[in-house]
Amino acid sequence: MTNLATGVWYAIAADHDLVDGHVYRTVLGGHELAVWRAQSGTVQVWDDRCPHRGVRFSLGEVVGDDLRCQYHAWRFGPTGACTFIPAQPQMKVPGTIRARTWPVAQSGGLVWTGIDPAGPVPDLPPGTVARAIPIARPAAEVAAALVALEGLAPVVQPLDAGTTMVRAIATDGDVPRADRVLVALRRRLESAV
Amino acid sequence: MILYDAHHLPECYAVRLFAALVGAPLTLVPVDVYPGHEHRSDDFLARNPLGTLPVLVDGDTVWTDWQEMLAALALRHDAAWFPAHDPALIGWLGMARDLAASLGLARLIDTFGAPGDAAAARARADVLLDEIERRRWFGERAGQVWVMPQAHPTIADVAAFVFIALCEDAGLSLRDRPALRRWIDRVRFAPGFIAMSGVFPPMTNVTR
Repeated sequence: MTNLATGVWYAIAADHDLVDGHVYRTVLGGHELAVWRAQSGTVQVWDDRCPHRGVRFSLGEVVGDDLRCQYHAWRFGPTGACTFIPAQPQMKVPGTIRARTWPVAQSGGLVWTGIDPAGPVPDLPPGTVARAIPIARPAAEVAAALVALEGLAPVVQPLDAGTTMVRAIATDGDVPRADRVLVALRRRLESAV
Repeated sequence: MILYDAHHLPECYAVRLFAALVGAPLTLVPVDVYPGHEHRSDDFLARNPLGTLPVLVDGDTVWTDWQEMLAALALRHDAAWFPAHDPALIGWLGMARDLAASLGLARLIDTFGAPGDAAAARARADVLLDEIERRRWFGERAGQVWVMPQAHPTIADVAAFVFIALCEDAGLSLRDRPALRRWIDRVRFAPGFIAMSGVFPPMTNVTR
């Protein structure tokens, strides 16, 4: 775990990360997250943990508007409520069986969440979402190094105490250039230890 | 065809998986590599003096190189998997051998007590996974579904998959490599896919 500020929106995925049938996996301030898009188009951010036996949801798959856990194929709908238990097909599933859901916002080609996020999602300039680059340095140090990068509007996602994901909008649309800049930054910060 | 097989080795899994994908029937002969060291027996060394697995036998023909087996099966059953005209195939198959020598080695050291430097093997594997992730991410942007530009999957996908899908056994993670995770899922959902220990099958058996 790390010090995850409450009331703050964090970008934790790009829209293009969420493809049909697939559960995206990430971590925010030590909280393991499973992120997926239902067939209806709504985006879900959940604790990456099935409430049944604790297996990572991100090992599962998306079926229609449900996420299906890999272990016992229990299905959970967009509210987090369990909708179907294959071993008990006749049973009405108790409403207390729920995945833990997180707040979600979509803006600027990114998916945002946080702990009790307040106010609007940060406004990023127009452009193209670059490839997210993980850097094995604390978020504050990475954020300080990002200030001087031209043509990039970056945001940081603290993964854990010592690792940070950098997401950026390439304001000139030149994603290969943005990639080279961020990977070079990663090399510089990780070798400076 | 007879496949002399060890369940836990990615190179053997590659041949079993690819045979399943192209519908090639195989007769499996398990070889007790661990802990029995049957691959060092006189009988086995007579068949393959290198003492490596897998070994594929078809009548008088014996293959001892797992990538050559993939090519041979593709040529026999479905040549679309083997785009020999594209030099990139050499690069990707070489990349898979590099994965064997790094990720695969770290996995054997960690899980089967094989000799070697696990930290060095993992460090090399990390570099390779980062590069394959980068290529996959830009490949996705270009509408490229598999590791090669072809619309059809290739033996290069199979050759890389069997190592990358087992990376957690080697102390490596795909958590921050989302394009690799999407590609892994795509391979898993290919018709005919079969799993091995440490690789989840798709849940096609669950009807609802």
